[in-house]
Amino acid sequence: MNTSTWLIRREFWENRAIWMIPAIFGALLILGALFGQVSLPKLTTPEQMYEAAAAYQVIVGAMFYVVMSVYATWYLLDCLYADRRDRSILFWKSLPISDAKTVLSKLLVAMVLVPLVYFAAADATALISAFILSIRARASIGSALWQPDVWWQIQVLWVYCIVTTALWYLPIAGWLMLVSAWAKRAVMLWAVLPPLVAYILERAIFGTYVIGHTLAVRFAGLPYVAFNGAKHVWTEGKGVVDNEGVPVTVWHLINPSGFFTSAETWIGAAVGIALIVGAIQLRTRRTEV
Amino acid sequence: MAPLIEARDLTKKYGAHVALDRATLNVEAGRIVGLIGPNGAGKTSALRAILGLTNYEGHLTVLGREPFRDRTALMNDCCFIADVAVLPSWLRVDQAIDFVAGVHPRFRRDRAMAFLAKTQISGKRRMRELSKGMKTQVHLALTMAIDAKLLVLDEPTLGLDILARRSFYDALVNDYMDETRTILITTHQVEEVENLLTDIIFIDKGRIVLDTSLEDVATRFAAVAVTADRLDAARAERPFYERQILGKVVLYFDSVDAGKLAPFGEMHTPSVSDLFVAKLSGGAA
Repeated sequence: MNTSTWLIRREFWENRAIWMIPAIFGALLILGALFGQVSLPKLTTPEQMYEAAAAYQVIVGAMFYVVMSVYATWYLLDCLYADRRDRSILFWKSLPISDAKTVLSKLLVAMVLVPLVYFAAADATALISAFILSIRARASIGSALWQPDVWWQIQVLWVYCIVTTALWYLPIAGWLMLVSAWAKRAVMLWAVLPPLVAYILERAIFGTYVIGHTLAVRFAGLPYVAFNGAKHVWTEGKGVVDNEGVPVTVWHLINPSGFFTSAETWIGAAVGIALIVGAIQLRTRRTEV
Repeated sequence: MAPLIEARDLTKKYGAHVALDRATLNVEAGRIVGLIGPNGAGKTSALRAILGLTNYEGHLTVLGREPFRDRTALMNDCCFIADVAVLPSWLRVDQAIDFVAGVHPRFRRDRAMAFLAKTQISGKRRMRELSKGMKTQVHLALTMAIDAKLLVLDEPTLGLDILARRSFYDALVNDYMDETRTILITTHQVEEVENLLTDIIFIDKGRIVLDTSLEDVATRFAAVAVTADRLDAARAERPFYERQILGKVVLYFDSVDAGKLAPFGEMHTPSVSDLFVAKLSGGAA
């Protein structure tokens, strides 16, 4: 194994929450499926079943995605700060490992490996709880939740979400790492305060909203850039359909050509790379809080 | 042969505060060098610069490399223990060994295991569960298993009890030191290390006050206990420090011919701690 592999193992040793939080969250959902009240509508048509399976999988996945976002944010803020705070950075820096490798290994964990762990946990939870629900309900819901076609689509959706999230939120991740490598204390405050102050100052002095707008687009804009959502409508009984009323699949929903050709995607990525370079520079200079 | 560490006019400023003020020093291979100074003298700044942990002004090479630019490569040949409390609390002993074995090309696992086998520490323990003395032993086991040319120790025994301190230095001298290695130790507790050093560097207020080998200390420095009637004659030889003990006055001389001093009273070579006090208080007077 090479140095990078060891650095990644190190992250999993230190942050056992990477797999413990999704495991516990999944276990809670499964407990809910086991003991919760099951009252689901009667599904008759294949469209309804398809729709129920898709909705069910998307809801489970979305819950994991939200928890993952919160955890990844916390992880990025802490990852270059924790070892400065307890001075263990002096141990890590006594080893022949470059600061660039250290920083990039942490970025990789936050943006790719943590999402993959949550992806696996969401899949396992959805499958196990669907199995439990189908036994408990004994109704049409049982077969409704077992749609291999839907399951494959969810896999595509997850992978697509991981890739687009990593790219779209790279500037946010870079900013969090920069703060983590720089702040002497109160990393959370330092992450939030400067953009907030810049927003308020801009509004007070120039009366404009460029910073606020840019941040809002960055935080909330991913669905608009990465998905075709606007062209489709939700209809009772048929699920998500296109203009002709035909039910759509994940292939209609995702918009990779739009996402990967959007200027905003690449401007954001460039800003993210610049911030990460900054975090590496700070890492070589700052040893203690 | 070029010195292992070569610093010329090494300067480090933190805003208006000057932590290192044009410090110049050399460390030769095969020596055990004590970098000695009071708290806040610039010891740690000097070590941080030597280990590539901080930027600096002036010329500095360690093992022929510029430390700040080349830290990663330097750490193949150099290891350091900066206070023993720095092993991360969540790390398990066996994980620490696996990790260092994985990333360090000169780490020899068998040597670390042999050293740990002499202790009572199990591999499954986490650092937070170990006493400070045990952590020291783990850190020593990791460090001594690395075939490094230079070992840097920054206040290595801070906060340890006397038994742990003694076993730390015993292990260092008996199991680690040989003619291919060089050790640089900083401490403000001079008594503790003076028996194992071959060279001393005194640092005060960011400046190097003295840089010499212990052999040279014996020929260069003399402390003379002078009786009151000869005091004026002795003072004419320009002592750099004087001190009253039990009614006698002890005068400290630098590079004064022993034949001249012998008539003034009982003469001896000052210990490192006496010399330290003499040099640092004398410099201020």
